[in-house]
Amino acid sequence: MGFLEIKDLHVSVAGKEIIKGIDLTLERGKTAVIFGPNGSGKSTLLGTIAGLPGYEITQGTILFKGQDLGTLSIDEISRLGIGISYQYPPAIKGVKLQTLLQNINNNPEGIASWSKALNLTDFLQRDINVGFSGGERKRSEILQLLLQNPDLMLFDEPESGVDIENISVIANVVKTMLEKEKPISQRTRSSIIITHTGFILDYVKADIAYVIMDGHVRGCGSPGEIFEEIKLHGYEKCASCFAEQFQGIKTGDER
Amino acid sequence: MNIPSVDSEQLLNIGYDACAASCGNFMVLDHTILDIESRYQGLKVMPLAKAFDVYPHIREKLFFGIVDKDKNEYTRMSYNSEPVGYYIRVEEGVKIEEPLQAAFLFGEQGSTQLIHNIIELCDGAEINIVNGCTTATHHSQGTHVGITETYLGKNSSLGFTMLHNWGNTVEVFPVGAILVGENARYISNYVAMTAVKKIVSYPVAHVKQGGSARFFSIIFAKKGSYFDSGAKALLEGAGANGEIIGRVVSDGGTVISRQMLSGNEPGTVGHMECSGLLLNENGVIHSIPELRGAHPDINLSHEAAVGKISTEELSYLMTRGLTEEQARSLIIRGFLDIKIEGLPAKVQALVDEVIERSIAGSI
Ligand SMILES: Nc1ncnc2c1ncn2[C@@H]1O[C@H](COP(=O)(O)OP(=O)(O)OP(=O)(O)O)[C@@H](O)[C@H]1O
Ligand SMILES: [Mg+2]
Repeated sequence: MGFLEIKDLHVSVAGKEIIKGIDLTLERGKTAVIFGPNGSGKSTLLGTIAGLPGYEITQGTILFKGQDLGTLSIDEISRLGIGISYQYPPAIKGVKLQTLLQNINNNPEGIASWSKALNLTDFLQRDINVGFSGGERKRSEILQLLLQNPDLMLFDEPESGVDIENISVIANVVKTMLEKEKPISQRTRSSIIITHTGFILDYVKADIAYVIMDGHVRGCGSPGEIFEEIKLHGYEKCASCFAEQFQGIKTGDER
Repeated sequence: MNIPSVDSEQLLNIGYDACAASCGNFMVLDHTILDIESRYQGLKVMPLAKAFDVYPHIREKLFFGIVDKDKNEYTRMSYNSEPVGYYIRVEEGVKIEEPLQAAFLFGEQGSTQLIHNIIELCDGAEINIVNGCTTATHHSQGTHVGITETYLGKNSSLGFTMLHNWGNTVEVFPVGAILVGENARYISNYVAMTAVKKIVSYPVAHVKQGGSARFFSIIFAKKGSYFDSGAKALLEGAGANGEIIGRVVSDGGTVISRQMLSGNEPGTVGHMECSGLLLNENGVIHSIPELRGAHPDINLSHEAAVGKISTEELSYLMTRGLTEEQARSLIIRGFLDIKIEGLPAKVQALVDEVIERSIAGSI
């Protein structure tokens, strides 16, 4: 049984097919990175895994720890061990960040020390994301995930809009969360990271990269190599070369 | 506080605690005053009937001075009977930090409780009054009528908090009028979290030059509850200010929320807001905002929104592992959380506690 197994996944949003047949597997302890142009369906994929409303699975399955996520509610998915850091987290008036953190995990020491590590101590008494800058929201997302401490962490552009210093703050925290300091065989936390800039990969090494274009996986392979290709040639030009690589991996798998 | 015919639980629900530090106390059960005390020099708390003898101007000028005795059947009934209620007077320049606590208890089955209160703040006086209204037990039923006339002298300041904890067998008709003198400040803070059969309340503030009247209200309408409530601020002096902010949650109850601001003089500024949250399809929230301008140099505005809990916010919290129930209750609490500027921390804490208690028992 795999850890996360996505098979032939099709997802529609507001009646329109956005994910058009995606296969993706991830083992325990591994980190995958997803690249892809704007609007290609990356956030839709993570949102579907997390069980967010509005994402309708029309075909295929997502299995996590052997369970079909399509049959579970959002909070059940969360308690099964999946957490998400949103690309665009909503603001909630009147609910203090601290109150939410206590509801996630009533661990006063953890709340105090991690909010300090993420420069968020002064934000605990503020309403969740209300008036937070882009970078502050991203840090608050990481803080919430830290307390939740899920087995599978979905990071949707955790470093976009974050200044250089705070990228290193976030990235180092993520690195710790993913137990990157431990030997590979002892890591138990897995993650999927969406990034456009690749900055986070300077700190957090990914094991595999997927390229998603127009709702399909167009390539998969070494994160470093793929990112270099994208930087050099852009997505469209690379689509064919990814495809070749991808075919190779696929046949490799089937052997 | 232990009164045989009163559930101590009911007193907790209105935050009444005779032992807690307060500058004075007042408690009435039906038409019997059980407790009345001032612990502060410059503060007078006495039965209104007795005050008539001590201060002749009350009967001459203040009693039905800003409330029309012919307003409705209840005001007429009240006018024709011996008044029961408090007269609170704060002398000139006296500023009191500790709040005064008052409790209005309704116990007698099937009866009509008639209350008439008069508050008079002399120039420059300051006080906070916390009024709690509740049935004495869970089984009381009948009608409560509460008339409150408030007179604020120049530069005075009153924080007036009203906590309602009626039962679903009680009909409540408060009648409030406030005269906000020059540069005086009035803050009203109304919280009704428990079921009630019917409440009709529409206090009116007359705001003189440079004065301000601000009304905040928090209503949680349970199934079967009917509220017709709101506030009116008549900005009658140059530079007068008005603010009316309401948060309404309907869990099956009906709420008609009336808000009115009227500006007649230059430099008057007013804003009002009504946000309503419907928890299910059985409730009704009907927001009726009214603005009336009678001078070009005024600035009056309003915002209103009625809807359900945002799915996005709900699912956001649920992705963190909170159950739907937990998530809903957090969002509702947050929705009801209005920060009232100028309310002493102690009163705010009391209000928060009352809200917390009833949300915990209802969602
Ligand atoms: N509620 C919706 N209604 C209609 N279209 C939607 C809705 N939500 C998403 N889409 C569309 O689905 C497509 C995929 O969106 P998604 O957010 O997954 O893209 P993305 O790959 O994460 O892009 P980006 O890099 O810009 O974040 C987009 O074309 C988007 O407009
Ligand atoms: Mg996206």
